[in-house]
Amino acid sequence: MSSVEIVLSGLLISALRSATPLLFALLGECLTQRAGRINLGVEGQMLVGAASGYGATAFTGSPWLGLLAGALAGALLSLVYALLTVPAAANPFASGLAVWMLAFGLSAYAGTGLVGLRIEGFEPLAWGLTPSIVLALALVPLIGLWLYRTRTGLRWRAVGESPETARAAGIRPWAVIVSAIAVGGLLSGLGGAALSVDYTRTWAEGMTAGRGLVAVGLVIVARWNPWLALPAALLFGGAEALSLRLQAADSAISAHLLHTLPYLTSLAVFAFTCLRLGARRGDGGAPAGLKAVFEH
Amino acid sequence: MDDGLGSAALREIGLSAAAFIALSALFFGLIGREPIAMLGAIAEASVGSGYALGESVLRATPILLCALATLTPARVGQMSVGAEGQLYFGALTGTGVVLAFPQAPSVVLMPALLAAGAAGGALWALLPALLRVAARVNETISTLLLNYVAALLVTWLVYGPWKNPHSQGWPATIDFPDAARLPTLWDSRVHAGLLLALALAVLLHGLFTRTRWGLVLDILRSNPRAGQQAGLSLARQIVLTMLIGGALAGLAGIAETSAVQGRLQADLSNGAGLSGFLVAWLARGNVLRAIALALLVGALLAAGDGLQMSAGVPSSATLVVQGLLFVAVLGVGGWRARAMASRRTGAVDV
Amino acid sequence: MHIRLHGISKRFGQVQAVDRVDFEARPGTVTALLGENGAGKSTLMKLLFGLHRPDAGYIELDGQTQLVDSPRTAIRFGIGMVFQQFSLIGSLTVRENLALVLPQGAWWIGRGARRLAAIDRHLAAVLPEIDPNARVADLSVGQVQSVELAKVLLLRARCVILDEPSAVLSPTEAQQLWRSIRQLAERGLSVVLITHKLADVRACADRVSVMRAGRLVGDVPAGDLDEAAVVRLMVGHAPDKVRTPLPRDPAARVRLWVKAIRAGSLNELSLQVHAGEIVGVAGVSGSGQTELAQALGGVLPVQAGEVILDGERLRAPRYSSPTSAKLAYIPEQPLLNAVAPDLSLSVNLALKRVAGLSFVPDRRQLERHASALIARFDVRPPDPRALAGWLSGGNLQKLVAARELSESPAVVVACYPTMGLDITAAAQVYESLFGLAREGSAVLWISEDLDDLMTHAHRIAVMLDGRVVRVLDAAETTLAELGSWMTGSGVRPCAKSA
Repeated sequence: MSSVEIVLSGLLISALRSATPLLFALLGECLTQRAGRINLGVEGQMLVGAASGYGATAFTGSPWLGLLAGALAGALLSLVYALLTVPAAANPFASGLAVWMLAFGLSAYAGTGLVGLRIEGFEPLAWGLTPSIVLALALVPLIGLWLYRTRTGLRWRAVGESPETARAAGIRPWAVIVSAIAVGGLLSGLGGAALSVDYTRTWAEGMTAGRGLVAVGLVIVARWNPWLALPAALLFGGAEALSLRLQAADSAISAHLLHTLPYLTSLAVFAFTCLRLGARRGDGGAPAGLKAVFEH
Repeated sequence: MDDGLGSAALREIGLSAAAFIALSALFFGLIGREPIAMLGAIAEASVGSGYALGESVLRATPILLCALATLTPARVGQMSVGAEGQLYFGALTGTGVVLAFPQAPSVVLMPALLAAGAAGGALWALLPALLRVAARVNETISTLLLNYVAALLVTWLVYGPWKNPHSQGWPATIDFPDAARLPTLWDSRVHAGLLLALALAVLLHGLFTRTRWGLVLDILRSNPRAGQQAGLSLARQIVLTMLIGGALAGLAGIAETSAVQGRLQADLSNGAGLSGFLVAWLARGNVLRAIALALLVGALLAAGDGLQMSAGVPSSATLVVQGLLFVAVLGVGGWRARAMASRRTGAVDV
Repeated sequence: MHIRLHGISKRFGQVQAVDRVDFEARPGTVTALLGENGAGKSTLMKLLFGLHRPDAGYIELDGQTQLVDSPRTAIRFGIGMVFQQFSLIGSLTVRENLALVLPQGAWWIGRGARRLAAIDRHLAAVLPEIDPNARVADLSVGQVQSVELAKVLLLRARCVILDEPSAVLSPTEAQQLWRSIRQLAERGLSVVLITHKLADVRACADRVSVMRAGRLVGDVPAGDLDEAAVVRLMVGHAPDKVRTPLPRDPAARVRLWVKAIRAGSLNELSLQVHAGEIVGVAGVSGSGQTELAQALGGVLPVQAGEVILDGERLRAPRYSSPTSAKLAYIPEQPLLNAVAPDLSLSVNLALKRVAGLSFVPDRRQLERHASALIARFDVRPPDPRALAGWLSGGNLQKLVAARELSESPAVVVACYPTMGLDITAAAQVYESLFGLAREGSAVLWISEDLDDLMTHAHRIAVMLDGRVVRVLDAAETTLAELGSWMTGSGVRPCAKSA
């Protein structure tokens, strides 16, 4: 293999590795937004997922239990968001931020005992892949097919477009919305656990560093389509992998400056998507129920 | 915007307070602490002594400015969470002025660094404002992402080009010369930034409630289309309010750097941005209420360090309590909103 | 299905929406549920469909008392409802919309699904001219309504409730609708037609039940219908006679001249309105009527062409020049477009003058000015500090009228000014508009009610695809002629727009 191929193949794997936690959160938030709710608390859900996942792995020795614990923690936390926005009618943006704030505190609190603990993560598979990467990649077609080709997926899409119409068709919108929020929580928690247990194998306060927020923005870039979640997540992952490589190659450029690359890339793509969506007269694929939230 | 203090509002405040105390008690119970004792310890650590009071006010100052930074764009319907990033960037530009002219006399340096801080914060707010106006980019997401970028820029400078080669502990810039340090008040660590924050708050309150500009903002927030018919420009006001908000947060950043830390270092905000958002939310757009609430939240957070020493509870417990406050207020407010809506239409929304 | 409602009542907050109503719909008949806006007819049927629960009374289906607690239950019983809005999901295909409402079904609806085949067969039988893969958002309004009916039939409904179906249809489409309704009845279904239009009743109803203010006030067979009596039942008193406008002065000067403007979907639209003249604008929805109003009101930027008022060119925004201020603009849906609901009446009434207020405005002066206007235009509640969002539809229109019409404007542009208003409120709106015409203003009036236009306007401009295709004399035209121009079937090769 030529050196270019080596660099490139390594880059793809690095990008995948970096994108995986984000991909989980992205798929989760995609489903939540498809049901018409935008949950900024994804960042918080990832954080509690990271903390619980790390703790569970440290205490049981099993990274799989860690992923499970993280997923459950994320789902539990998402129920706070569900309680605030479904039976009560609190502002969805503020509710997400409140969940984030709460989760930051909870994960920092629980995490004080975790700093310095070491874990054994997953055994790596072929080509530098790990089980969490494979799981994330498998979820993309599963969720995509489920959303577009099954009846429940159709009902979720209907609720996201118009809860009133769905109700008139005999669906119970609140059940769908709560499920979507919970599934979003499950997947973000899973993503957080994948971050701490698999990607970095450490715990640090606030370690998700905005990945959850990036996920919320990238859902729009992915046009609410689970199939497009993979390339969208790779945008961020690729930028991060690239910045790590540049940092290793040329230590003259500060790691911190390079670290802004993933955020700036995500923001740029997000802004570009909003511009294109605004220019078109149609809906651009947004669930109609979300538009009122965005165009306040 | 809620300017009234009628019986309904009082009832909501009471219910929120009750929910908050209940949730906090639950949390303390879960972590194996006696709830009443904990609440007492928090009160003690926040207002129990002159020192504690000073620390609370100190903590509250940047929170108040960040709350104002959130409130101002909110007057025209913008939900910006960018105070954190604007704070960092203001600290960055203000520090730049100090590092460029370390020998300058205080009478020149002090206003210069404050102005630079305000300008830096305003600049950092300009980008999301323009994105919103030109491309309908949702300002909540854009400001949140930019917060991380601003913090990273500060970290870069502090670890890199501006690093003080003689610093012992964490990387930081050189210490600010005395001419660049905001004076403190009353023998405590409370600094003149507080006076600045209070003065600006009162000024903003007057502008929002008494002037034509405040009326323009009210109209655009209530119905942009109606405002358009009256010849008012939503785009212009979005940019203006974001610039003002950014300037306020930038002031918070440079004030914190100049008065409290005495040099630029990473992680200088201590979460003031998000706490400021919480305060702005609790205050429902009323500046005077934001002053009181900033003191409340500042006291709560300042108690964290005290708690760590007296009760052996990690200071992050107060972060949890802050989150519970936000959740309690949102829950009670949301529940009442739902009750009012269903009474009006008879149909449950979902 | 034989449906009987006994003693049904429902209260929303302060309002008694439905008050001890006994209602009956028999199989094989079309029952028109007639009443003004706000009379409670929609609410009554929503109670039957399970969207709300009644506070009192019970529902009897085919002789058995049943509890209808959700739309799911109603559908199971065989009750289907076709709504005005919120009925189909635009971004989904026709097939997907129908698949959505099937009560049971295989979980897989991708390629090769059996349930979908059943839907396709049904569509082929009932709606052969529509492609099941078409997105609902791409269909015309009439087609959407046909899909709605197909959906309801798919569920083997034995009772079909239609909520104001003809509100947005052209005359031709309305006739097709009436035919479909009669066909449903002939198949043995019981059909309930909610409407406020006598034309619907005349065309296809067997019985008429009249509601007013939540109560059922009349129940008569449709055959020997005394229309004046029915209107009296609907309104509660003899309808106010709106004074007809003065006949048009042929020598009156042109006050509003729209010259080949291009804005939004408007495509080189030209129009003239003379002093003292009322020009109505008719068209199927989406022809650009709203954009015309918005362009004149200064809300939609005009890219080409000119708008000339009393000989001077109009510039947007409206309040920037004295000329522009002489144009009164009453937009459609006032709550959405013309008022700031969270602010007081006095601020809303001063909206035009905000840019010119002093730095610290004198609020008390604003309130005094507002009180005078409120009294003059009879806005309720008469409190300048009341919030605009509290006002009812009729009072909102009066508020907007007070702001726009109080200073003798040269031109008035009114866009659907009476939509959603009851007869009395509508009459008040007409009085102010036509009063101004009598005084010499030029009135451009966009309306969906062709009967109203033919009665009160001098000329009617028909719009289609963003331009005026024909201007007809209101006194001499017919519904059929209007209808054919609205749908484009009346266009002759050498016809020119006025």
